[in-house]
Amino acid sequence: MLEVKGLKKVYRSGEREVEALRDLTFTVARGDLVCLVGPSGCGKTTLLRCISGLLDPTAGDVRVNGKAVDGPPPGMAVVFQEYGRSLFPWMSVRGNVELPLKQKGVPKQRRHELVEQSLDAVGLSGSGSAFPWQLSGGMQQRVAIARAVAYEPQTLLMDEPFAAVDAQTRADLEDLVRQLWKRLGVTILFVTHDIDESVYLGQRVVMLSSSPTVVQDELTIDLPAERDQLTTRADPRFIELRTRVYEQIQAAKKNVA
Amino acid sequence: MNVLKRTALALALPFVLFAGWWVLSADSENFYSPPLSAILTAFGDTWTLDRIRADVLPSLLRLFAGFLLAAVLGVAAGVAIGLNRRLRAVAEPVLEFFRAVPPPVLVPVIMLFAGIGDAMKVIVIVFGCVWPILLNTVEGVRAVDGVVLETARSYGVTGPARITHVILPSASPQIAAGLRQALSIAIILMVISEMFAASNGLGFTIVQFQRGFEIPEMWSGIILLGMLGFGLSLLFRLAERRALRWYEGLRAAQRSG
Repeated sequence: MLEVKGLKKVYRSGEREVEALRDLTFTVARGDLVCLVGPSGCGKTTLLRCISGLLDPTAGDVRVNGKAVDGPPPGMAVVFQEYGRSLFPWMSVRGNVELPLKQKGVPKQRRHELVEQSLDAVGLSGSGSAFPWQLSGGMQQRVAIARAVAYEPQTLLMDEPFAAVDAQTRADLEDLVRQLWKRLGVTILFVTHDIDESVYLGQRVVMLSSSPTVVQDELTIDLPAERDQLTTRADPRFIELRTRVYEQIQAAKKNVA
Repeated sequence: MNVLKRTALALALPFVLFAGWWVLSADSENFYSPPLSAILTAFGDTWTLDRIRADVLPSLLRLFAGFLLAAVLGVAAGVAIGLNRRLRAVAEPVLEFFRAVPPPVLVPVIMLFAGIGDAMKVIVIVFGCVWPILLNTVEGVRAVDGVVLETARSYGVTGPARITHVILPSASPQIAAGLRQALSIAIILMVISEMFAASNGLGFTIVQFQRGFEIPEMWSGIILLGMLGFGLSLLFRLAERRALRWYEGLRAAQRSG
């Protein structure tokens, strides 16, 4: 369970103040997969950094399973957009996945199991000893996902994780996220600027306005749980829903102009 | 280019220079620049195993002690200063001042309180070569990628593990650059400190030869010093290439990507 209540973030530099987030309130139920979508530059990343405890909000609060966030919460994993910078280039793929587990104090044997299982789950079982920079962009993001999965989080935050990979890889990774979500029963908050992606992935879509950001609208995605790139995206209901989201995002942009 | 060809190219110029020296000095009557043949004969006679044990070994031990101590101090202080903005504001002007003081002028001063034994020589070496290590470490620590730091934080990689698994490896290319500069300074200071006050060592022996007008022996000592310096920097490069294999690979991947 993830609750965001009255969240506000104002950046100050000297005399200038920039209001990035004005007033955000929404909840993500336990085990839900919610997509946050908004126009570019709407403070999505700021919001995610507040939720993950990397940034202190100016006002309002974030609660994870009832506990207020004031630093990275232990049961939470984050997949960053910049996979190339988020993986440590001096460690092998296996080392990258294992380090957070070592820090958590997971015993060695269990650690190895978790590393192998999660690499297997993202389809990288043979690449454990490679360095991240020896892999393609899509594979690097798979490593980052494996690292998050191995951490056995209750909440998983994903910050535009597929913005920098090509379209085909992206479709594969979207299916991977759905599949992992169903298998692990983890709560996922997925931030994206891609409207189709948000509808395809989410059980619910929260639409954000332009900066200073408020929640523009929320939409439950009543598509069947089994989704695939061909039939789901051709489903008339999918097209209806994506039009709804699109309209809201356009309205959000106009309100500013 | 294969290894053989590269080695041949690397050895060509030294060979030409030595051949030129040999030919030009062949019928030299000048007492201070004897023929190279005489110098090489003196080299074989002077640098016997006993001589190496008595004079070269002590020099090398002082060099290593000073260099290692400077490395430990420089990296430790560099990490502390690099991570703490306030400490940096206080320390940076002072560091620039100390770095600007030519270390040889401190030899007489250090002699006053450290005597003329090995301790004095080690202190001189440490004082001279700690600065490039320290300043490069500070730069390396400050340049650690923000996404890397946030990743570490959100996955609970904090405290000592943050230093050993994140900060130090990330700064290691700059630290290595500092160590490389420090090594050549250490060799210079080893010789200088032995010229001031010593009862053995390479610097001491070369000065003895000079005072005793044993000119070919003096030249042979200078050649030995050059070879030592060259050998040490070669060893350092090999170790560096091994330790920073990930960095070379990462850079190559970024260039082609």
